[in-house]
Amino acid sequence: MKMPDENKLAKRKKWNQSIAFWIFRLLSYFIVAILFSILSFIIYKGVGVINWNFITQMPEEGMTKGGIFPAIIGTLCLVAGSMIFAFPIGVLAAIYMNEYVKDGIIKKSIKQMTNNLAGIPSIVFGLFGMSLFVNKLGFGDSILAGSLTLGLLALPVVIRTTEEALKAVDDTFRHASLGLGASKWQTTRNVVLPIAFPNIITGLILSIGRVSGETAPILFTVAAYFLPKLPTSIFDQAMALPYHLYVLSTSGTNIEASRPVAYGTALVLIIIVLIANLLANGLRKYFGKKVKMN
Amino acid sequence: MKTFYKKFSEKFIEGLLLLSSTITTLTVLLIVVFLFKEGLGVFNQKPVEEGFVIALNKQNPVNKLSSAQLKNIFDQNITNWIEVGGKKDSIILFRMEDITNYYSEEQIGEQYENLPQCISKVVDSLPNIIAFFSTKYLDKNFQGKQLDIDKISFKEFFSGKEWFPTAQPSAQLGVLPLILGTLWVSLGAILLALPLGLAAAIYMSEIANENVRKIMKPLIELLAGIPSVVYGFFGLVIIVPLIQKTFDLPVGETGLAGSIVLGIMALPTIITISEDAMRNTPRAMKEASLALGASKWQTIYKVVVPYSISGITAGAILGIGRAIGETMAVLMVTGNAAVIPHTILEPVRTIPATIAAELGEASNGGLHYKALFALGCILFIITLIINLTVEYISNRKKYNNR
Amino acid sequence: MKSKVLIIALSLYTGVSIAQKLKGSDTVLPLAQKEAESYLKVNKANKVTVTGGGSGVGLAALVDGTTDIAMSSRKIKMSEKIKLQDAGKASKEIIVAYDALAVIVNPSNKVAQLTREQLEGIFTGKIKNWKEVGGDDLQIVVYSRESSSGTYEFFKEHVLKNKNYASSVLSMPATGAIVQSISQTKGAIGYVGLAYVEKEIKTVKVSYDKGKTYVAPSMASAKDKSYPVVRPLYYYYLTTMEKSVKPFVDFCLSPEGQKIVEQVGYVPLTK
Repeated sequence: MKMPDENKLAKRKKWNQSIAFWIFRLLSYFIVAILFSILSFIIYKGVGVINWNFITQMPEEGMTKGGIFPAIIGTLCLVAGSMIFAFPIGVLAAIYMNEYVKDGIIKKSIKQMTNNLAGIPSIVFGLFGMSLFVNKLGFGDSILAGSLTLGLLALPVVIRTTEEALKAVDDTFRHASLGLGASKWQTTRNVVLPIAFPNIITGLILSIGRVSGETAPILFTVAAYFLPKLPTSIFDQAMALPYHLYVLSTSGTNIEASRPVAYGTALVLIIIVLIANLLANGLRKYFGKKVKMN
Repeated sequence: MKTFYKKFSEKFIEGLLLLSSTITTLTVLLIVVFLFKEGLGVFNQKPVEEGFVIALNKQNPVNKLSSAQLKNIFDQNITNWIEVGGKKDSIILFRMEDITNYYSEEQIGEQYENLPQCISKVVDSLPNIIAFFSTKYLDKNFQGKQLDIDKISFKEFFSGKEWFPTAQPSAQLGVLPLILGTLWVSLGAILLALPLGLAAAIYMSEIANENVRKIMKPLIELLAGIPSVVYGFFGLVIIVPLIQKTFDLPVGETGLAGSIVLGIMALPTIITISEDAMRNTPRAMKEASLALGASKWQTIYKVVVPYSISGITAGAILGIGRAIGETMAVLMVTGNAAVIPHTILEPVRTIPATIAAELGEASNGGLHYKALFALGCILFIITLIINLTVEYISNRKKYNNR
Repeated sequence: MKSKVLIIALSLYTGVSIAQKLKGSDTVLPLAQKEAESYLKVNKANKVTVTGGGSGVGLAALVDGTTDIAMSSRKIKMSEKIKLQDAGKASKEIIVAYDALAVIVNPSNKVAQLTREQLEGIFTGKIKNWKEVGGDDLQIVVYSRESSSGTYEFFKEHVLKNKNYASSVLSMPATGAIVQSISQTKGAIGYVGLAYVEKEIKTVKVSYDKGKTYVAPSMASAKDKSYPVVRPLYYYYLTTMEKSVKPFVDFCLSPEGQKIVEQVGYVPLTK
């Protein structure tokens, strides 16, 4: 009498399990489907617009024709500017936290502050950048102000990824180097950093992806609606891809006519992010093996 | 000598490293200082723009009017003095440009040199008048009663239901609709994203094989990498019309549109963090459960999920944090009407969207500017609380482990 | 101190290559942008930056000295004038074009005309259904610009007679978004500059004499002033900067510049 009951139970168990698993699988595929629907929608609409002229020409006819060259250049300037600021500081900070301080109150508080900074919404960075860099320091709406604001926003990302990269370096390397009489800095510079380097670069690329898509922080610090010439100094305003997309999709006298340009701009933005992600993943995979082989 | 240099440079480098690592702390502190200095300035100001007076006839028994009363009077929603504690008499509005109804241009003078006397006389002659004009045209012998307006109070700011930061004569700075709008949209987002995200996290960490996981993980990361304007753009052209049609609504720009877009944006955060937590479940625990005859599914919901619940919670809270702070996507899809929403199918206005849309216009240091910084402070405090909560939860987990 | 040095360095820098920054009203933006495009074709050495944000933004930037020309779709406010005075500056006002504000609805809406009083009722939230003004039984959805825009102020002053908008009004960050939304939304109503009128939306005839005569917004009715909701569009610049901004401003006022005004969809100045 007991046997069939148990069998039934086992069957029901199995049944439940496969239902649950299928639900999870379907929901996961659903998320991937969302991603692909966004991507394919923008690719489908934008791919016809993108050509060499679109990337290398100035906007014309009230943004309904011509290209988005200045916006691309502006975004590149902002990415470069923010990284010049955030990358060295972020890496140095991570080195300090991972190689120099022991677990304790200092490390904990630095870490907490970094986390707090990472959690601050981008629009608050925009407010801050506007009041400090634009107004207080008198930079005006400029690439400098925008880069610094974006740099601060990227800082926690750089610190975190660098820290992860340093953590991944096996302690035996450090002990060996220190045992040979090298100083802490020598060990860090000659042993730890070279091994962690690829992963640090991965972090850099990811933060570039993040920075190039941010709109809210540059809204009041650098972004220009129209700029027929490229910026020539760090005190110039610049156009930027995400802001350009925002403008194209909400203003302009002829929304329908500027739609194609908007799709094209969105696609260029997506491509930048896509490349950054692929590059980061490729690097991670390629070097990940190499580090282990060592 | 050489060792001295070496030691010195070691110290120097360490100092440099320390300095770099304090930058984040410094930035947070600077943000606090700048945000709060401007933001708290709101409570030091009167809602009536500087350089303007509101005056009554001196016989009018009313001595004080609240900001809301002023707005209603000038919108002609209040038309009788009795409604604000005065005599039973209808209210006569007077703005500077109305002076031409009382005096000819010659009487006022080409350079407006007689304007102060004219205004003074008008206010003097009409007992029911309420006048709003620039202090520049306040006559030296002005006979009327200048109205005393209270500074903006904490209570008024947080419980006020109307957001008209540029209203004349008296700005209405009630942030309640904005706070509620932000919370509504974020709550909706998390309700949509949490089940989906959890399912994906469980699938990726426990069910899917390594190959599937290797494909899915970068895809989820890509989802996190798509810029928010692109989400906003997608929402504007696809989701908004879709919602309008599906629910047969008068408008498609609703809280729901915002919630859907934000939900998608919060997914990667939730998935990544909860998946990490689940994968950290000790193998021994899982194997013990399986050895006792539990199915894989039973092991997941009886062992893995309870074990990683703090990680999941942290992921959910950080997801909310991401949703609360998101600006551009929300600005583009929620319709931005500053009313307290009753359902998610109504337009709402969030704090970040308000800042992004209005900061440009506000003149530096003005009341509106400060009010927007105060909104920034609210946002900052909310996200700080979220961060500290997450920190607390993940610390507690470590403690339990030991 | 530091900031002053930087500002001086900045102004020295901008002084070398004649660079102009225009900032402000989104209504003037398309015009200024096109004027800048044509101007730069002739004057290759110069540089013109055009940024939007709203009239308030532009005038605030003029006070702060972060822009050379403030584009505005409304007259400078008393408070802004006082701020300029306090900063020891004086501004010059130039009318570059006129704009007719059109009230627009969804093409499926059968209401074709409205009086000013009805418009006031709709935008202040007293009239909530189209059947109250002779349309279908349909909820009215009101779209407006953000409170920064000169269009918002002008419409409030001239159509709502200074009353505040209802708080349930949907506010859009830019005029283009209003057109987009109204073309998608059946019961929608909003206001945009004549330049933004396109076939996806329908304009409404407006009466300012309690329904005796209704006039449709058009280039012709705006030119002969029979259409009541017309406003001037302004450039403001500091008198001290006159020399550097003059060439561009003169270009905008020239016959060539005024031709662009009409191309963009605004009403040229009549002399």
